[in-house]
Amino acid sequence: MDAVNNSGEDDIDINIDDSDSEEIPLTAAEVIERMEEAWLNEKFAPEILPNKSEIVDCLLGQISYMEENLQNLSSNDFQKSLHQMEVDRLRFIITSYLRTRLEKIETYVFSIVKNEEERSENNQLLYLTDNELQFAKAYKGSLEQHFEELLRFWPGLGPDDWKKDPVVPNMSSFVFAKAKSAVEGVMLDEANDDEEALVDLQSGSQIIISYNSISQLVKNDEVCLI
Amino acid sequence: MSAEKACALVKELHRNQGTLPPYNNDLVNEVTKEITQLIQENRNDAQESERSRGSDLLEGVSYISTIRVRHAAIQRNLRCLLAYHYNRVRSLRTMRWEFGSILPADIKANLSTAETNWFSKYSSILAKYMRSVGEDGGVNLAVDLHPPKALYIEVQCLVDYGRYELSDGSVLLLKKNSRHFLPRVECEELIRQGVFQHIVI
Amino acid sequence: MNPDEVEFLAEKQLISIIPTFNSNVIHLISGDVGPFRASLPVRVPLWMAINLKQQRKCKIQPPDWMNIEQLEELKEEEKRSKTFVKMPSEHYMIEAKLLLNYATDDISRADEIRTIIKDIWDIRMSKIRSSVDTLVRNAGFYATVDHLTLMEINTMRPLLPHALDQVYRMKKAQSTRLPTQSTTLSLLNSSHRGSSLSS
Repeated sequence: MDAVNNSGEDDIDINIDDSDSEEIPLTAAEVIERMEEAWLNEKFAPEILPNKSEIVDCLLGQISYMEENLQNLSSNDFQKSLHQMEVDRLRFIITSYLRTRLEKIETYVFSIVKNEEERSENNQLLYLTDNELQFAKAYKGSLEQHFEELLRFWPGLGPDDWKKDPVVPNMSSFVFAKAKSAVEGVMLDEANDDEEALVDLQSGSQIIISYNSISQLVKNDEVCLI
Repeated sequence: MSAEKACALVKELHRNQGTLPPYNNDLVNEVTKEITQLIQENRNDAQESERSRGSDLLEGVSYISTIRVRHAAIQRNLRCLLAYHYNRVRSLRTMRWEFGSILPADIKANLSTAETNWFSKYSSILAKYMRSVGEDGGVNLAVDLHPPKALYIEVQCLVDYGRYELSDGSVLLLKKNSRHFLPRVECEELIRQGVFQHIVI
Repeated sequence: MNPDEVEFLAEKQLISIIPTFNSNVIHLISGDVGPFRASLPVRVPLWMAINLKQQRKCKIQPPDWMNIEQLEELKEEEKRSKTFVKMPSEHYMIEAKLLLNYATDDISRADEIRTIIKDIWDIRMSKIRSSVDTLVRNAGFYATVDHLTLMEINTMRPLLPHALDQVYRMKKAQSTRLPTQSTTLSLLNSSHRGSSLSS
């Protein structure tokens, strides 16, 4: 779990908390690769995905370490501008990733908070970070307060009517995906119950497919969205 | 016709996408008044139908359809009210990202009291979240909105500006039509002032 | 997805440069780059190559495939083949665009190369259009898009996923015979459904 910030060594002691909790030492380059993948997955998946906070925190640590070092370089040093550019690139991925998650949290706040509470009750893997969950609850609270205040002046509406059918992500929306390894027997959602089709994916093959056919594969890192 | 005002409310917002028109208190009040009136009419009809029950069954049925139509109008009115208010909140949200926690005065003037309250609440929720990211006192998510591009850009000087000192202390002589290759951050201000023109290859 | 973002992803590709300066290894977070010895080729990420080129600190060596003969061959193959030909680079279009913009002087016959690459792009685009058409007509819910580059996939994004989504909904409605009118009232319901967030 711990993201230890290294100081120029290649290996970073980071364990990506998958179900099998073995220590996987990742190089910084691999951490960046995973961050990029998480960014794209989050960007294209209709639902909010399990958070990747270990990777985010690890990279943020690397960035602040680098920025500290950069302060000691003179601004004429041409290496400094290259380092700065890399830092800017990494910052963009991280902030864009986090922004995308916030946008989803806001758009689907009622269903996301509800699902997260269910996961928590069932001791399942939580999707949001603590901070995101706090944000989600506070955001939901702010909407509720705003509308409850308004609703006092509107006749004809039950107190919770306005949020009883909240917006939910369209899980059958179509996405482009790439198989990271060979996957057999992906069940295609054909929109009707009587037909069932299975597809095998070769490693590296690219497809367009409805998200709900592969959502689990995305979460298991067998398929990534592109 | 029923629910026409409510529809006008939504259209008003739709016409002004990207900005936030003044909160239309008058129209909102008229819509709520219409709802109250429709509800009252339905109540009256329901009582009427209750009274006439037993005397003649067919008479009762004829009330049902008008009640249904009014009910649909009530629902539509409410729905438009919700859409109006929700979309205003969403557009305030976007403005928080655009302008930060302090809104420009002309936009601020267009908010209802409740909206002003919501905005400051959202603002602090968001700030709190940003401070909580990572282990080093947070990350400002309102910057780095676009992929970083080249640090250096080529600019053409449009006026005889004279001496200009860069942040590293070196001094440039900016003459009309001279071309320079400079870090983007150093140029942005002068581009805004119209001293430089960015040469896009 | 914003084209800038596709370009951003492409900029991490490695490319050879010939530096005009000497420098020790640079320890980037993503790994070491260098050392740099004047006139000795070294591999760097594309974003760095362009940055150095802009500062007139290097010449860029165009990738092997960026020559007339190979591109002509590729173009013929693309014309002959019914499916999409595997491109020599995952980001051929962006690499070409960036190099032709920032390092024209390092590329021989740059104008011709520009034209051929544009031709290849056009051939592939017209294949995309006709296969998208077939897919939607057949109401298919699955298609492989092997060998298409990210930039090419991105051109389909505004339309194809949404078209398939609509077909899917119609088919779903047909099979479940959902009531066509909903009486539920909610602020947050279906008007938002299906709009994809930040593509």
